[in-house]
Amino acid sequence: MSRDVRIWTAPAVVVLGFIVVMLLGLVRPSLHTTMFTIGLYALIALPLGLIYGQGGTISLAQGSFAALGAYTSAILTTRYGLPPALSVIPAMLMPAALAFVIARPILRLPELSLALVTLSLGTVIAVGLQRGGDFTGSYVGLSGAPPLPIVGNDPVLVAVALWTAVLIVVVLYSHFVRSARGRALNAIRVDRLLAEAMGVNVPLDLSTLFAVAAGIAGLAGWFYVHAIGYIAPDSLNAETSANILFMVVLGGRRAVLGPILGAAFFTFANDFLPGAQTHGLVFGTILVLILMLSPDGILSPQALRATRRLFARGAPAPGARPAAIADRTEAVR
Amino acid sequence: MSLSARGIAIRFGGVVALDGVAVSVSPGEIVGLVGPNGAGKTTLFNCLTGVARPQEGVVEFDGQDISRLRLEHRVRLGIGRTFQTPRLDLAGSVVDAVMLGFNPRLRQSMIGACLPFSAARRNEDELSRRARALIAEFRLAADADAPAGELSLGHLRLLEVARALASEPRYLLLDEPAAGIDDVDRDLLAQAIRNAAARGLGVLLVEHNVGFVAELSHRMVALVSGAVVAEGRPAEVVADPHVVAAYLGVQHAAA
Repeated sequence: MSRDVRIWTAPAVVVLGFIVVMLLGLVRPSLHTTMFTIGLYALIALPLGLIYGQGGTISLAQGSFAALGAYTSAILTTRYGLPPALSVIPAMLMPAALAFVIARPILRLPELSLALVTLSLGTVIAVGLQRGGDFTGSYVGLSGAPPLPIVGNDPVLVAVALWTAVLIVVVLYSHFVRSARGRALNAIRVDRLLAEAMGVNVPLDLSTLFAVAAGIAGLAGWFYVHAIGYIAPDSLNAETSANILFMVVLGGRRAVLGPILGAAFFTFANDFLPGAQTHGLVFGTILVLILMLSPDGILSPQALRATRRLFARGAPAPGARPAAIADRTEAVR
Repeated sequence: MSLSARGIAIRFGGVVALDGVAVSVSPGEIVGLVGPNGAGKTTLFNCLTGVARPQEGVVEFDGQDISRLRLEHRVRLGIGRTFQTPRLDLAGSVVDAVMLGFNPRLRQSMIGACLPFSAARRNEDELSRRARALIAEFRLAADADAPAGELSLGHLRLLEVARALASEPRYLLLDEPAAGIDDVDRDLLAQAIRNAAARGLGVLLVEHNVGFVAELSHRMVALVSGAVVAEGRPAEVVADPHVVAAYLGVQHAAA
């Protein structure tokens, strides 16, 4: 019972948060655009939260996978006349397929090497897009991508559509972490030998989730290119990937809502901080401070447990101990 | 029907860890594997479970050659194990740790795991109930929702045994389950091992503590420097001059 309720906490928070901010947007319309940016980052960051926070597998390629999705859709819609409603499928499959193919050899690497390899993968994708000549629009990029299906260019409807996708990912993620497959992924993070001893096919599980993460980033890229109508090599790139990792780590990589909180923090901070050059300094300082205080980010497991205890007063938290001792003494007799 | 290894030889560089060792365990039987430090107990154990690959020799599961099978496939066949150093997510709850143990028997799809109201989802309550029943058997019920990291070493070892049992193994391999645990937990552990054997599981017990093994096993195998020096009923093995010299002798001299 309590497990079932907790599964819906994160989706409920997302829905409530979205409604509140969108209502505030009636007073301050720029919030609708802000909400689009947050949702976009959240969509790229959420699956990284899954593979990094739950599976211990870092990736600095999420931004580039999003770019790949955006370019796939832009090329198919502007050059081949495919409607965006259909191009969403290749926009997701393209990065997912690439991720699945490269996953097996690289996911065995230790964390730091994996970070570097995925980062350079992003660089390779960026170079490919820049040098793609007319096909990818070279350094200028591609413009003229048609608007999103159904919702068109209305900023409120676009935000609703994007956040519906975020909500779906949150629902799936929340269920996944409380499933046998989620526990298996958790075991992979803790100890690969343990995961194998629990019957987990570690390379297959990790490759699959790495591909899913890339596919969802591709979906975000699709939203990006059809909402803005334009994509260039530096729209979504390795810097985006690094920012996405920052959001996940800051917000809380173990919590479902962590990446979304990180995305919101990053976007608002970007809006309010003056001078783009100083951002790195500010974000770096914040990251160091947060990680010193709470290595698992703002929404750490400890913080979440404390919050739950606060809400569930009178639950058998401290009172259970004496009973445990009685239970054990009985076992001796 | 048995889990058996024959002619197992494994070398790490120039060091011969195991030299033509044979060991077997039948359903319902408790076999104790003893030997001093460095005798190759854990290495033999790793060869049986698939963590290590021997250079020579065959591992058979009920007559099927499983020498080439990887660890996760052997677990799914029915070889459950615990680790000398408990391997657990210390931040996760005790009940989650045991629920992880059900994994080898579940064929849950990735999609089923993600979808609300799926069959996998409905199964979750049943798994939780079964995990709690197992936890209660090991008298850990009061800590079921606590993080595993809050348990004592003894309780962690019991938890590992509970998790291994959750995978419904045919053969249960326990690596030093009684190391560093108190008398209450040791009795619980001994009872759990006897119950498992009574249900028809073959139990292979690697232990440093000869007393605990001798009391529990139907048969004992003594390993010294990578070779079997004695095998048979516990009383015989304990009294065997090779064993006394290599292992008990050291202890007696120290006592």
